[in-house]
Amino acid sequence: MRLSSFSRVVLAAVLAAAVAGCSSSGTSSGAASSGASSGTIKIGIDLPLSGADASIGIPTQNGALLAIEQANKSGFAGGAFKLEASVLDDAVQGKHDPAAGAQNVQTFISDPAVLAMVGPFNSNVAKSEIPLTNDAGLAQISPSNTNDGLTIGDAAKKLRTAHPDVNTYFRVCTRDSKQGSALAQIAYQRLGFKKVFVIDDNETYGKGLADVFDASFRGLGGTVLGHEHITSNQVDFKSLLTKVKSLNPDAVFFGGNTSTGGGLIRRQMGDVGMAQTPFLGGDGISDAEFEKQAGDAANGAYMTVASPDVTKIPAAKSFISAYQARFKSSVGPYSANAYTAAKIEIAAIEKALKDNGGKMPTRADVLKNIASTANFDSPIGKIGFDANGDTTSPVLTLLHVVNGKTQVVDVIQLKS
Amino acid sequence: MRFIAPLTARLPPALRTQRAGTALAFSAALMLPFIGRNGAFTNFLADAGAFVLLALGLNIVVGFAGLLDLGYAAFFAIGSYSYAMLASPQFGIHLPFWVLLFVASAIAALFGILLGAPTLRLRGDYLAIVTLGFGEIVPQTFLNLSQWTGGPNGIGSLDQPVFFGYRFGFNPLPYYLMVLGLIALAAWLANNLRTSRLGRAWMAIREDELAAAHMGINTTSTKLAAFAMGASFSGLAGCALASKLQLVSPDQFMFNVSVFVLAMLVLGGMGNIPGVIVGSLILSALERFILPQTTNFMHGIGLNIDLTNSRFLIYGLILVMMMLFRPEGLIPSRQRKAELHAGQGDRRAAAAEGELLTETIR
Amino acid sequence: MDVFFQQLINGLSLGGIYALIALGYTMVYGIIELINFAHGDVYTLGTFFSLGILTLLGVDSVVHGPALVGVLAITILGAMILCGLTGVIIERLAYRRLRNAPKLAPLITAIGMSFILENLMLYWRGPSPVPFPQVIPNPQFALGAVTVQAKQIIVVLLAVVLMIVLQTFVYNTRLGKAMRATAQDKDAAQLMGIDINTTIALTFLIGSALAGAAGFVSGMYYGSTWFFNGFAAGLKAFTAAVLGGIGNLAGAMLGGFLIGLIEAMTTQFISDQWSNVVVFSVLVLVLIFRPSGLLGESLPNKV
Repeated sequence: MRLSSFSRVVLAAVLAAAVAGCSSSGTSSGAASSGASSGTIKIGIDLPLSGADASIGIPTQNGALLAIEQANKSGFAGGAFKLEASVLDDAVQGKHDPAAGAQNVQTFISDPAVLAMVGPFNSNVAKSEIPLTNDAGLAQISPSNTNDGLTIGDAAKKLRTAHPDVNTYFRVCTRDSKQGSALAQIAYQRLGFKKVFVIDDNETYGKGLADVFDASFRGLGGTVLGHEHITSNQVDFKSLLTKVKSLNPDAVFFGGNTSTGGGLIRRQMGDVGMAQTPFLGGDGISDAEFEKQAGDAANGAYMTVASPDVTKIPAAKSFISAYQARFKSSVGPYSANAYTAAKIEIAAIEKALKDNGGKMPTRADVLKNIASTANFDSPIGKIGFDANGDTTSPVLTLLHVVNGKTQVVDVIQLKS
Repeated sequence: MRFIAPLTARLPPALRTQRAGTALAFSAALMLPFIGRNGAFTNFLADAGAFVLLALGLNIVVGFAGLLDLGYAAFFAIGSYSYAMLASPQFGIHLPFWVLLFVASAIAALFGILLGAPTLRLRGDYLAIVTLGFGEIVPQTFLNLSQWTGGPNGIGSLDQPVFFGYRFGFNPLPYYLMVLGLIALAAWLANNLRTSRLGRAWMAIREDELAAAHMGINTTSTKLAAFAMGASFSGLAGCALASKLQLVSPDQFMFNVSVFVLAMLVLGGMGNIPGVIVGSLILSALERFILPQTTNFMHGIGLNIDLTNSRFLIYGLILVMMMLFRPEGLIPSRQRKAELHAGQGDRRAAAAEGELLTETIR
Repeated sequence: MDVFFQQLINGLSLGGIYALIALGYTMVYGIIELINFAHGDVYTLGTFFSLGILTLLGVDSVVHGPALVGVLAITILGAMILCGLTGVIIERLAYRRLRNAPKLAPLITAIGMSFILENLMLYWRGPSPVPFPQVIPNPQFALGAVTVQAKQIIVVLLAVVLMIVLQTFVYNTRLGKAMRATAQDKDAAQLMGIDINTTIALTFLIGSALAGAAGFVSGMYYGSTWFFNGFAAGLKAFTAAVLGGIGNLAGAMLGGFLIGLIEAMTTQFISDQWSNVVVFSVLVLVLIFRPSGLLGESLPNKV
């Protein structure tokens, strides 16, 4: 029967789609099926690896890769299984993207060789991923998400509707309510600021952190002169900063990342004559990019990192030298976190293999082992997870930019 | 094929093959999820299907009526947030999905009329800019009104559709089938509109608005109808996709999305329903499969090029190249082809018209 | 009250940049009735070109003394020439063929062109903001409680001067007359012996060169540049052009300053997060209620 040109084209499109479908399922070939005694086991890695976040995402990824390589070298599973990293980028046009993260996770889920994953880096990406990993029972450890609503409270419950009694999400870093309230204490008590102006980037992480800081600072007796949100892709902050300057704050707090405006705001603070006014922020501005973008005005900025400063922990020395030898560059602020996350997962997989008689374990087995992690030795200290997936030993490192260099001021142990 | 013949016996030959072709395509589409061996492919199909709906909607505005709407993502946002606010713990309202399909598309259509009423008398390029402005205002407003819309976190834990007691869950297959049904409905509606009086009025306005007005067509209400219909489709798409992701957030609805959908039309064939569907599927496949796999291939042979972040460059190139060399799209409607080549010298217009004649004779 | 005047200064400086970009938009629209979406990105290219020239000249901070004049001249002229050429190339490649096509076509092409430019710049300099040298010593002048920076004065001055130069050119030279004639009626102009291809190319050259100047000024003013600068700036500059009256040079200038002021005042008296919404609402409202703008005449619908 003669098909009209329309039908011919549509048929061709459908066939092409079918071919695409077949080829995409090729990612799952070569994977060990549950119960096999050899094959490939994969650890998924979902991080922003391109664009503005790449300067912090790539070193983080390298930390995880190092752990996987070391495991293979030292005889993972007695050589029966090969451990591989499945790396996917969740940045779109230069910025971390929740929808891309969700797609990546769905790719991990549909690959039976993936038994656990490291990531994501950003809290808003985690929000779109947790429901998926919760449904699939795939364990994920984030090296850097700090937003509270990912593990505690109503918001966290809403992310776990598929299996409300199962938690598949863990993180090795300190969460925002602790980071934010600690920052408020640092600002009010340690640094003596009484009136601050709060700016945030209106994103999940930035706004979350700023809101916690705002409430905590007020609770301590301080005054918040104002709390404004910037728009994404904003480049001119002079009007906003003029407004801030007119209120005469002791310091300016910024909730957000370098990639969402932190560096530019600090630079323009210098332009409007506020270079002497201290600038305070969280781990979002703890990357090297901040100094570059803030230029001369970077001096006088304080920031916290939601994990210990590895250069100060003796146990971390071997990690640092191994990292530098392998990647020919210095560690990033979250490399050790990702390394630890991967190591925890590797240990969990190995234990599950042993318990399963050397046969390929299930995701549930691995998840169980990860959840019961306690006193795990790592470059960032002894790590354990509580019932919500948070670390049992939250730590904060306070940094200060002086003469163009970031110095560690203090390492603060917080209450769990 | 013998059983088809009696059903279509009374139709003229061209329509008979078109109907058969449509039936074939539809059955093939139904079988697609079972070809790909994992859920990721069905997942892709369901997402791509929502964008096909968007493309069909924009096609009414840009393709049929010739009105350039650069802020189409705003209506998509309105449809999605309508679902999110009426089927989630946000306000405690939980209307059923199938009711909300109507509600969301009605709300989106209402906003289409609200935007269109004061602006549709503007010249084409001014209209484009106004819609662009609207496309910027809407997501930023959703972001700012965080008390109602959840701000940057959006609204999550949206209800999943329930079909006669069967809850859709996290498996993409029922979503795909639902979207396929919506596409069939939308395509059927669009096709009927195209051949109706309203459709022909749209065509007349598209070709020469002044002449159409002089022929007695009420250009304002006709254009308004196009806006409203197009917006209602995006309301459907928003509702469908929101129910599948169970999450809406403002960064799903940026200018990129409007351009993405426009590129689908330009690539596939503005004004031509099958063309638009194909264009939409090609670009979705490009984003989800072709670019990542080509990038993997390149990395495999040692070239350190990352194509996945080049997709906006590619959409830009598509827009420019297609407009310069084949503005009627890959699968043209013959009418459009003649229109679009009219200004490029007699040779091309004559060729297009010649094609028109030979097609009719065949 | 002091903060009001300070914001006034901020608004005028911001507005000066918008004004320079708006001039290019209004010129191109006046002559071929095309909204050149890529124009905002040519402005960003201007910052990138300036950065490149400054790097070549070895400038990475403030330049003092007589060398400053030379550096400024070379950089501004260089950026203007390079951007002008870019504009001409874009017109030749993308818009000329579509001059007689339905209006939809060149508009879509312009959007595509904008995306292409943005992504090329993304490849060139990466996704993060790039620091831009200070170049000019920036003494501050106190007028009462208000501080004005030298840079802010330069931005406003440059915008006004360039507009006057442009106005003189358009109204007092033969080429300018050709431009005005082509804008009024393309076919008649052709019949009178004007080479409209050259005239249109010249319009793009000048308009894009102005965007280049705006680019240099912006880089110097903010101390940084970014591949995506042009999108929002371009849209707001077009709003300015429409507000002032499309096709009207003084209108573009007025519109630019007004939009800058609106932005600054909205940030001060409402909040930063609504400033974009307010500006774009101005766009929508102006187009609905007074599409001819403040200084434009109502154009009859040509049959």
